[in-house]
Parts: sequence; structure tokens; C-alpha cells
Amino acid sequence: MSPREELLSPRVRKILWGLFIVAVTLGLVWAYQRYVVGPHAPQYKWAREGKNYELLEPRTLGLLFVTPLLLFVLGRSLADLPWQQRVLAVLFRVAFVGLVALGLARLARTAETSKVATVFVIDVSDSVEDPSLEDARKVVESAIDARGKEDEVRLITFAKRPRLIPLEAAGGKPVVPPISELRHGTKQALEKLGVDKPGAGSDVQAAMQLAYGVFPPGFLKRMVVVTDGVETNGDLLAESNRARGFDVKVFTVPFRRPPPGEVALRSVQVPEKVDIGQPFDVVANVYSSRQTTARAQLYQGEALNGLDGVKDLELKPGENEVKFKSVVRVGGQVTYALKLGDIKDDKFSENNQYAVTVDVPGRPTVLYVEGQPQRATYLSGALTAQQFDVDVRTPSAFPSSVKELERYDFVVVSDVPREAFGEASQDLLERYVRDLGGGFLFAGGEAGYGLGGWAHTTMERILPVRMDAERKKEMPSVAMALVIDRSGSMTGLPMEMAKSACKATVTTLEGDDLIEIIAFDSTPIRYVKFQPARYRSRINNEIARVQPGGGTEIFPALDMAYQDISVVQARKKHVILLTDGRAPTQGLKDVVQAMIAESITLTTVGLGDGADHELLRMLADTGGGRYHAVPDPNSLPKIFTRETEMIARQAAVEEWFPVQVVTNVDFLKGMSMASAPLLHGYVATQMKETPAQLILASDNGEPILARWRVGLGYTLAWTSDVKNLWAVDWLRWSGFGKFWGQLVREHMRHKHRRELDMKTEVVGGRVHAVVDAFTVDERFDNEIESKLFVIGPEPGGERKEFPMKQTAPGRYEADFQLEKYGSFLLRAEHNKTTKKGETSNVGVSYGHVSNPYPREYASFEPDLERLSRAALAGGGKVDPEAKELFDPAGEKIVYFEQLWSRFIMAAIAMFLLDLLVRRIRIFDRKFVPKRRKHAAH
Amino acid sequence: MLFAGLPFATLLTIAAVAGGLTVVFYILKLRRRPVAVPYSRIWERILRDKEATSWWSRLKRLLSLLLQLALLSLLLLALGDPRIAGSLIQGRNVVVLVDASASMKATDVDPTRLEVAKREVKKLVRGLGGTDRMLIAQMDAAVMPLSTMTGEVSDLETAVDQLKATDTRADVKRGLRFALDSLRGLTKPEIVLVSDGAVGDPKELSAGLDFEGVETRYIPVGRSGKNVAISGFSVRRYPLDKARYEVMLEVANTNEEPVDVELTLIGDGQVVDVSRLSLQANERLPRFYKDLAGASRTLEAKIKLADGQNDALPADDHAFALMPERRRARVLVVTPGNTYLEATLLLDEYLDVTSVAPAKYPPSGNFDVTIFDGVAPPLAPNTGGSLYLNPPEEGSPVKLGRAMQEFGFDVWDKKHPIVRWMSMGDIQVAKGHSFKPEKEDKVVGASEAGPILVSGRRSGRKFVALGFDPRDSDFVLRVAWPLFVLNTINDFIEEDTSYVSSFFTGDVWHIPAPSGAEVASLKAPDGKIHSVPIKEGRAVYLGDQAGFYELLVKTEPEPTTSMFAANLSNLDESKIKPAESLELGGKPALLPSGFDPGMRKEIWLYLLIAALIVSSIEWFTYHRRITV
Repeated sequence: MSPREELLSPRVRKILWGLFIVAVTLGLVWAYQRYVVGPHAPQYKWAREGKNYELLEPRTLGLLFVTPLLLFVLGRSLADLPWQQRVLAVLFRVAFVGLVALGLARLARTAETSKVATVFVIDVSDSVEDPSLEDARKVVESAIDARGKEDEVRLITFAKRPRLIPLEAAGGKPVVPPISELRHGTKQALEKLGVDKPGAGSDVQAAMQLAYGVFPPGFLKRMVVVTDGVETNGDLLAESNRARGFDVKVFTVPFRRPPPGEVALRSVQVPEKVDIGQPFDVVANVYSSRQTTARAQLYQGEALNGLDGVKDLELKPGENEVKFKSVVRVGGQVTYALKLGDIKDDKFSENNQYAVTVDVPGRPTVLYVEGQPQRATYLSGALTAQQFDVDVRTPSAFPSSVKELERYDFVVVSDVPREAFGEASQDLLERYVRDLGGGFLFAGGEAGYGLGGWAHTTMERILPVRMDAERKKEMPSVAMALVIDRSGSMTGLPMEMAKSACKATVTTLEGDDLIEIIAFDSTPIRYVKFQPARYRSRINNEIARVQPGGGTEIFPALDMAYQDISVVQARKKHVILLTDGRAPTQGLKDVVQAMIAESITLTTVGLGDGADHELLRMLADTGGGRYHAVPDPNSLPKIFTRETEMIARQAAVEEWFPVQVVTNVDFLKGMSMASAPLLHGYVATQMKETPAQLILASDNGEPILARWRVGLGYTLAWTSDVKNLWAVDWLRWSGFGKFWGQLVREHMRHKHRRELDMKTEVVGGRVHAVVDAFTVDERFDNEIESKLFVIGPEPGGERKEFPMKQTAPGRYEADFQLEKYGSFLLRAEHNKTTKKGETSNVGVSYGHVSNPYPREYASFEPDLERLSRAALAGGGKVDPEAKELFDPAGEKIVYFEQLWSRFIMAAIAMFLLDLLVRRIRIFDRKFVPKRRKHAAH
Repeated sequence: MLFAGLPFATLLTIAAVAGGLTVVFYILKLRRRPVAVPYSRIWERILRDKEATSWWSRLKRLLSLLLQLALLSLLLLALGDPRIAGSLIQGRNVVVLVDASASMKATDVDPTRLEVAKREVKKLVRGLGGTDRMLIAQMDAAVMPLSTMTGEVSDLETAVDQLKATDTRADVKRGLRFALDSLRGLTKPEIVLVSDGAVGDPKELSAGLDFEGVETRYIPVGRSGKNVAISGFSVRRYPLDKARYEVMLEVANTNEEPVDVELTLIGDGQVVDVSRLSLQANERLPRFYKDLAGASRTLEAKIKLADGQNDALPADDHAFALMPERRRARVLVVTPGNTYLEATLLLDEYLDVTSVAPAKYPPSGNFDVTIFDGVAPPLAPNTGGSLYLNPPEEGSPVKLGRAMQEFGFDVWDKKHPIVRWMSMGDIQVAKGHSFKPEKEDKVVGASEAGPILVSGRRSGRKFVALGFDPRDSDFVLRVAWPLFVLNTINDFIEEDTSYVSSFFTGDVWHIPAPSGAEVASLKAPDGKIHSVPIKEGRAVYLGDQAGFYELLVKTEPEPTTSMFAANLSNLDESKIKPAESLELGGKPALLPSGFDPGMRKEIWLYLLIAALIVSSIEWFTYHRRITV
């Protein structure tokens, strides 16, 4: 029995051993919790001798929990080993487990290497020709030859999308596949990627991003971009700069072969603003890589361009400008498509057509309301020749709603009497001008202004002139003779109304005006001799005396009136003849001619069906007056009043006079008003106060043309007429059409109050549209809700809507991808919501963009500057030597080296030691002699 | 089967030595301890029995040896790092796109969405099958693969650790396109999108992409959180009164319930305004600060919830803008003497004018604009933009056309900044030349006989050329003349209203830089300095951090510094409510399957674990005398 065996009983030993195992277990649990999994566990990272070490999986140290089991088994060991060896064995075994656990915990440390991996990124887009690709293959092959033993080479080709090309090894050396395999578009799957062929684009940025993912870890990274530098998507410069941030050195190799025989339409431009009927140039920019010929056909819509449809081009190398004359006859969206054909030397057909669409505003429409429609042809013809659509209507056909009126850009009301143009129509006109910004011209004539009874009406309110023109003092008075039929047929109401008309005439006349009233049947009787109208009561009494009599003889009565009036002094002399029957006509014409020769005018009134209307009309025409056919006697006073107003108030000034320009307004530019013929009359009016603006005046300074703003629009007053009465000479004037055309154009309604400029650009098929909105005082116009409509490709393309977001004060932007090729129209609508929640339009913007074909087919010459800058940004150089690509140039790359295998080797050593102490008795070897000695005693 | 560990020869050596030693240890007989027993007969019988079963004894010994050798073999095999050859079994090829856009900085999950995403990806990495390969790419406005397509778990885990959220939007379409490119031609392709689904219009995601044969998976990250954002912040100079500015600030509430926010405006680091705003559910509230003429150069806006709580995404609570500096433009006039020109240049107090006679050109100093009056000497580098008045044939940037007499402006580009709001139609010119502009030049004004006012660029530098001496016309007597000269100078120094103060993160920025230089230094908000290339007078950079940047270009005699601001300003990113499901390629993207996190693909791990088990068995059997 050993001394220990003697000291402790087996039971106590077992308990102690058990306690020891529990203590070890608890210690391990605490340590694991504290140092491995607990919240305060240290990061197993440390640096030593400049190298960083890290335990990647410290949790596996938990394998040491097997230790208590080892101890437990040891406690129940039947093995015949000295206790020292048992202790050693368990220590070695625990160490073994610990080392394996450490191995599993994967200790790693940083290590350095200067191996180089070079990724070639080769442009195989359609713009790159096979010989250039062969050059690129050679670049890769020479790099493969020049690489070091441990260096790596990878290959990516790109066009629209990038692709990793596996380099199969033959005899330990990577082999670059033939060109046919480098190109994209050979596999059907690629075709599905988009509407284009896979080769119809160059996205070098995507290729470089793909390349980052093929660098093996632990290598210095080099990238060689072999391209023509023409990019359709992405940004080589930005990505090269970014690559440098990821420790990738970028080299560039431009394709240097001359471009293939190629003709490409680079652009087709039309002026920003095209007016109907105005010729303009369509300018095409044609690139040709060589001297060649081609035939260009320009289509306007579906048809060949009328003015200049086909041109045979002699193209010189480089850019060629080709101009086509064109004109648009019908407004709307007009698409110009230029097509090149019969090209001698051309590789791609995609770039031989180009379409551009322009929105040509339709002709402005003028509503022309004419009191004498039969005389409307003069002005309407002139305006039509000036590219206006003219809608001639009678006053009764005037639109009944603002909506209907809104269709028109300008309204002319000419020579319309007040009674033919209701209050409602006048109100509509006012709203049209004030709220819709319409333009309105009121033209004179015999029924214009005061003559038409327009004084004190809405019309007068909205016009820049007053109609209560006071007679000028120096003007002589009026002499008026009323020649009234008192034949038997006039008995009753006609006679009474005729008398009322005479009385009304007297009332209307100024006091100094002279009046004579002759009533006639077979013979004329002077009821009122020429006398001033101020003796109204006396005259009225005389009128009351008139009684119906017998037959009808006009001539003696008219002759009497002529004789009487010719001897009185008056500036205006006028005779009104009223009759309801037929009479001998002999001598009538002569007397009327004699009258007109003395500037005595005659107006005739035919009452009822029995009147000789033809005769009366002829007399009125000859007499320079008007003829009124009056079916209803009740209207006689009104007619007489108007006639009297016209004459007595001196409203109409009938004399030849030149117009004088008072204000040189814009629409008179280019017009020589000095060469304008004389006008033959106008209606006298007076200018209102400023801001009413007098533009043209008569020789004595009275308004001929005046304008002012009413709300959003303009009203203009033209006090002469637009027909063959007062403006008869103007109709023959060469400037007549231009004058009215320019006048209408300047004042017509601009359907959209405000047009905001829109700037657009297309990059890689993506449209970026920017609208800047300023208020009238050049501040920023904010909080506009803008929508952008994209219509296309024209003709007949679909319409899509995109929001325009406000990105800065007064700035609104939209950004979207065009899914198709062609020409697109852009229209932005700008609305604002008022405080009441109503939405109102505050402007529109127009634009057009062309995305005629993939930009891949637009350029064929390398962009050397871009490639040189990219190499500079990427830390590399242009056209590097093959050796330079694998030269670490002193660079080293740090990578993680796994050290677990070293622990496993140590574990093997521990295993052997463990085996050693269990197979060979190291301690207690002398036990036999001891025993013997003990036995001897 | 491949061996990627120690070389075979080394393994053999270790096997020979260790195996040899093991066998030797077993050949050596362990000396037994003699034990004296009193009843030898009994023990004799026992010993006799034992001798009868000595074959059993030998077997136990042999078993022990075999166990040891098995243990050794397992260790040696583990050292060899065996791999299953990819060609034997076609595994999956997985591209994991990890959204690292600004919304992934949201803290609605602990600690952030990106960290949760990383955990999810690590689970996938650890669950890779033996022949599976994976590529991990960071996806924000750009795509950045962080690993190769590899089965190396450690490489993939390192890649996951490199994921870092940026201040940009997520361009998922670009990411998907990249993933499809990377998977082209590979077996069992699979895309795993790890994102919060704040990806803008989901319908647009798959348009134009071909997902045929590609499995698509989606791991949603994030719960939902309260977020308010500054969705727009910019400063702009008024077009007429250029000394004044207007600031636009847009605050958005992306929640379904109203919130109150506190808005702080900071100018040059000092708080200048604090206000409280109430925002309705999903409301965007633009605010405009008009007529600012401050001394502040940098402007910052910060918002926070008024109730003191933190919102889930701090990244969009801070925006930056820079007041466009009205700096004094340095103008050089090369003229033998021109009163009209000199008088015009007195009109703008922000001009530093230097006049030299043509013979003394170039003088020392740097100029933003040079006006050449009737001369066109070779350009010195310090010239800046150049305005040519009646340039001679030699040296003119635009070829001269024919000589003309008695002409005027028949057409002019009314929208062009140098003649905007001007009436040119009434200018009468006695004599001059037309120009023959190049393709990229812009004809600003022309008479019937040809262009007479042309603008463009030569070697990256702007120029404007006028085809007649203004003194040979009544131009100098009109209001249009000083406007023309001052507009041209403004156009050169880009103090135009088209200038908007900030860039958006994730875009490729084209930052105005002095022409002539090839590279510039860009100091990012984090203080790092990047070298950026300059092309056509613009520094090109893809920026992904919001904040103030400083661009430094080496020019003579002193470097030119300019500042600008960059913002996220993307409402889609600020709408952080995660999408629970996504449709990719016309079908719903399900959660990933077939990734068993319990299984690691490194065989050596299993070999070592087996070795440990064998070692434990051996320990037990040895001590219980089952093996000896």
C-alpha cells in the first residue's frame, strides 16, 4: 500500500477527484463565458511583428469541455500507469484537444504577396471591327506570355452587357478564344436581353464592375480596358477613379485601326419654332469615315419633303452638313425622317435614318362677325392669305358660350349695329378678352360706334375709345330734309309712326342743326321749312298737322328737298326719303346724282311690301346713303334716329385723309405706313385715358386705331371700316393683308398663358428634362405641380406620364428611360393648387427628343482623351507593355494566411507524446528492486 | 477529390514519422508491474486462463494500434485539406446582393439593418453546400463585388465583413443586371437579394431583364420604424439680383401618422433658426427661405422628432447646401483702348478689371475672363474664358467668313444666356465679318449673310466671338451692350441661375473645375482625399457620401479651391417601411432554401472533429482496458 493510499480512503479520494472535476468544469464554463461568448469577450485580433492575427472561430474552443470527461475516465482508469504518467497523459491529451480546438478556431494572420492578377476588359461592341479585335486578342496573348509563374489572367468582353470568358488551358497555358466566341450576340439567350442586338451598346462601367468580382483573392489587381472609348452607357472615367479606390490599377488600350467604311446620320435639326407657311431649313449632320456618295431622302410625315426631298450627297471624311428647305402647311406634330441610301461604303444600316418631330402650332383662327356679310371677303381673304383660318359669321350666329368662343384666337366685330348684337354676346366678348386673354377688334362702318348705337354699352366700356364724340366747334351744322310719303296707303299706323320718326329726328338733332320736313302725295308740301331744330315744339306741331292724302309722286318732293337743301349752309346735308308705294321714276336718278354732286346724301326707307324696293335701293346707292326696307312701321323712329345720329352727331367723318402713326408699336414693324393709301371715312370717337394707346390717328388727330389691355387680352378699336366703303383704297394696297395679319398676330390670344422653357438631354437612352420657372419679376416660381407627357415614337406613339419633381427653387426635373427608338414629343403641364383647392394651369413646356438608334452606331473614332484620362485616373497608363501589367512595382498585397494546419501538426506531436507516456514506463521503473528490498525486510 | 492543404510529400513524411513512431510504441512492451499475491494457485489458474485467451489480448492490442493509426490518419487527412472537385458535382452558383443603401442604416432592428443583413448573409455562407459557390456584392447606387465566385467560406466571410452602408439610393436593377451577368453560363444560378425592399417602383425592377433559369430569393430585413426625412435641400441665386438667394427645403413624413418635428438651420456651423413643424401622414412639406443675402456660406438643415424620440433613419435627417459664392471675377482686358468697354466694366462692382495693351499680353496673374478687343494672340494658360470682339483672322477661335457691310442681327437665340432678355434686332453695324463656326459651336446671333455672334469651347475653355467692332455699330449706344458684356462674363464664371447648389449621392458628378488641369483633389466629408480626373472642364466623380466636399485644382500661381454639397435627397430611400415580399422576374422571390447553417463545407473540419471523437473513444477504451 502506497503512503497516499494509506492517507486517504478510496471514498475520500473519489470525492476529492469528483470535486476536482467539478472545479475544472466550472472553471472552463466561466472562462468560456467570459472570454469567448460573453458580451465582454475580447476580439481575438492582435498584431505582432507587424502582422495581424485573428481567431476567426473562437467558439470552437468550447471543445475543451471534453476535459472533465477525460478526467472522469482517468479517475476510473484501469490502466497500469504510474500517477506521474497518468498526469502527463491527461495533460498531453488535453493539450491535444486544445490544439485541435485551436485549429478549428482557425487562427489566421496577414501575409504579403506580390502576385498579380490582370483582368482584360475588351470592347466587342458592333463598332469594333474584327481586325481591331484581333489586335486585342494579341494584347491578351502577349500578356499571357509575359506573366509570372504565379500571376493570373482573366478575360471579360463587353458590349451592351459584359461577359466573363473562360480561358481554357492548353498545356498549362491559357488560350484566348477566337473572335467569334468573344463577340456577343451569338447565343440566343443574349438576344432576349433587350430590344437591341447585344452588340448595340458599350457599357464599360458594368464590365469593370463585373471584373472586380473575378480577381482572385491574394493578388495585386490590374485591369486593362481595351476599347474605342465610345460609351453608350456608364462612365469610364468615374469607374476608373472608383477602381483606384479599390486598389485596382486601370490601364487602357485604344483600338487604333482606322474606322470602317461608315456613313452615319449624327443629327437632324429643325428650328425650335416653326410657323405655318414659313420656310425653314432642316439641317442634317452626316458623318462619313471615308469619301463616298449617298442619296438622302427627307420625308415630312409619310410623304417626301415637298421643297427639297431628295439629294445626292458627296460626302467628305468627317462631318458633313446637309440642308433641306422645308415648309409646314398644316399645323400639328410634324415628323421629319431623313433616310440615307445608295451608300457606297457603309457597314451599319441602323444609323442611316433619323427622325425628329416638331410641334407646329396650327393656324390661328379668327372669328369675323360682319354686319354686311356680303362685304366680308376683303378682310377674310387678306387674313387667310396671312395664314389665318377665318370663320365669317353674321351677328346672329355669334357663339353663345365662352367655350365655343375659346376656339378662336382673335375676334373681329365689324359694322354691326347694336340691336343685332345682344348684351349676352357683349358679355361673352368681355369674358373672352378679360379672362381668356383673347384679342378683339371692333371695326367701324355705318353701324359702328355711335352710328350703330353703341354708346353707353359694354362694348364701349371695353374699347379704348369713347363714342360720345362731341362735335368740334369749327364743324358746320347739319341740314336734314325729311321727305315723307303721306299718300293714302300711309293712313293709320304708318302715318303715325312716320310722324313719330320725324319727331324723334328733331329730338336727336342738335339745336343748331337745320331741319325741313316735306310731306308728299301727288304734290309735295313743306310742313316744316328749314329751321334750327331747337324750335322743337313748333316743329312738332307742324309735324302733327301732316295728314294722309292721295297718290305718290316722289320726284317733285325730292326735287323740292334738293332745291331747298342746296341753298342752306351746312357741312352735312342729308335727305331721308320715306315711302310705301310705287311712283314714276323719271328724273329721280338725275336729281339724286345732282344731289350727290353737291355732297347731299340720300337715305331711302321703304315701308311695307308695296314699296318699290329696287328703286329705293338704287336711289340710296346713288345717293351715297343707306336703304332701309322696313316691314314694320313701329321701327321707323329707331331708323330715323340712327340715321340722324349718324349724320347729326357728325360721328361719321367722310372725307379722304391719310393715317398718321402716333405710336410705333411692334406689329407696324416692317410696314411703311407712309405709303398707305388714304382712307375715306371713319366714325368719330374720343380716346380714353392712358393706358389706352393711340396707334393711328386721322389727319386731325382723331383715333383711327387704338388699343388697350382688358384683363389678360387686348381690345382694339378701328374706327374706319374694313370694306370697300371707307377703306376702298386700302383693299388695293399691297400692305393691307400684312397690316391686318401682323395686327392680329400680335394681339391674338396665346392659348397658354405662359410657356416655360424645357431643356432636355438624352444620355444612354435616358431623358433628363429640366424646367425652370420664374415669376414675372424674375423670382423663382415654386410649388408647381408639373407633369411631363412623353408621346412617341412618332408618328402615333403611345403617351406616357411622368411627374416632374421640384429639386430646387424654381426648378422641376424628370428623368426616365426611353424604351424605344425614334422621335418623341415632350409636353409638360404646370398646375398650381389655389388655397381653395382649385387647380389652375400656370404654364406649359414643349420639347422634343430624338433617340434614333443605339448610340453605338453614332461614333467610330476612338476617344483617345477619355482613355488617357481614364488611365490617369486609374493609376495606370495608355498602351502598357505586357511586362508592365505584371510588374508589382514594389506593391504588395496583404491577405489572410490560415494557420490551422500548424496547430494540427502540433496536435500530432502531442498525440505522439501522449502515446509515448502511455506505452513506455518512464516513472517508477525501479519498482521491482524496491519491492524486493521491501520483501527482504 | 483535390488536396489543397500541405503538399503530398510533406504529408507522406509526417505520416511515415508519426506512423512509424506509433507502431514502434506498440512494439515496445510496457513493463508490467509485478504484484505479489498470496495464493499462487489461484493466480496460476487465472494466468492459465489468460494464456488461453492471449489471442484476445493481442486483438485488444491490435485494436488499440488501429485506433491510434486511425486517429493519426484523420489528422493527416485534415492537413491535406481535401476538397470535392467541382467538376464531379455541379453545385449552385449564388450571387448575394446586399443592399447597402442609406435606408439600410435604419436602426429599427438592432443594431442596424445592414448588420442584420450581414448576419443573414453569414448564415448563408455557412450553409453553403460542398460544391456551391457564392459571390457577395454590395449594392447601392453602384455595384461592388466584394468576393469572387468562390466556395471559400473564409473569403466570403471576409467579404461580408467589408459591407458598409453608404448615403446613396439603391439601384436594384443595376444590381440584378450585374448578378445576371455574373451568373451567365454558370450552373444552377441563384440570386439572393438581401434588402429592406426600399427599392422604388417594384414593377420597374425586372423590366428588360431575363431571369430565365435563375432562382431568385429575397431576404427581407427590417421591421418598420418612424422616420422623417429632409427630402430636398438646395440654394439658388436669383437671376436678376445675383447677390441674393433662395433656399428650398423639403421635409417629408414617411409614416402613416402625423408627427411633429424640430427643424434646425445651421449657417457656417452656427444655429440660425429653430422651428417646429407639424407633418401629416405621408406629407411632404416644402419650405422656401427667400431673399437671403447672408454671410453664411455653408448651410445645414437638421431635423429630429419633436417628442425627443429618435427616428429610425438618422441618415436622412441631415442635409447640406452651399451658398453659391458671389466672388469677384478677375477680368483681363487686352485692348489698345476702348472707352465703351471700360465704361461697361465699371458697372459691376464684383469685377476686378485689369487692362493691358496687346503687346503686354499675357500679364502675370490668373484671370477668369479675358476680353480680346480686336486682337487674338495665342492663349496663355491664365486666360480663363475669352470674349473676342472683332477678332482678326489669325488667332481667332472661329474662322472668319466674308467681310460684310451694313448689317444687323436678323436672328438671335433669345434663350441664350448671353443675349437673354435683350433686343438685338435694332442694332445697326457698319462693317464686320461673318464667322464659319465649327460643328459644336453655338451660333448665338446671325445676320442674313451669316453668323456674327458665336460661342463654344476650344481645348475645354469657353469663348464667345463677336464678328464686328462694337464701335463700328450703334451697339455700344444701346442698353444691350453692357448687358451683353456682363452676361458673357457671368456665363464664363458660371454664376448662372442654372447653377444649383448640390449634387445627389450615387450619381456621377461632373463638377466644374478650372480648365486646363487634368486632375484635381477632392476632399470628402470624411476627410479622405481622392484624386479625380478632369475632362472638358469638369471633375468626374461618383460620390456616395452626403456632406460638404472641397475640390482643389492645382493652378498657377495659386491653387483653386471650390466647395460643393452632396445630399441623399431621395424620398424612396426615406420610405423605410420594409417590403415583405418582392417580385423578381415575374414571380415572387421566396426565402432562400438549401442553405443548412449546420453544415460547413470544409472537409478538414469534419476530419478534425472525427479525430477528436476517435481520440475520446481511444481514451475511454484504453483506461477501461478495453484496448491495451
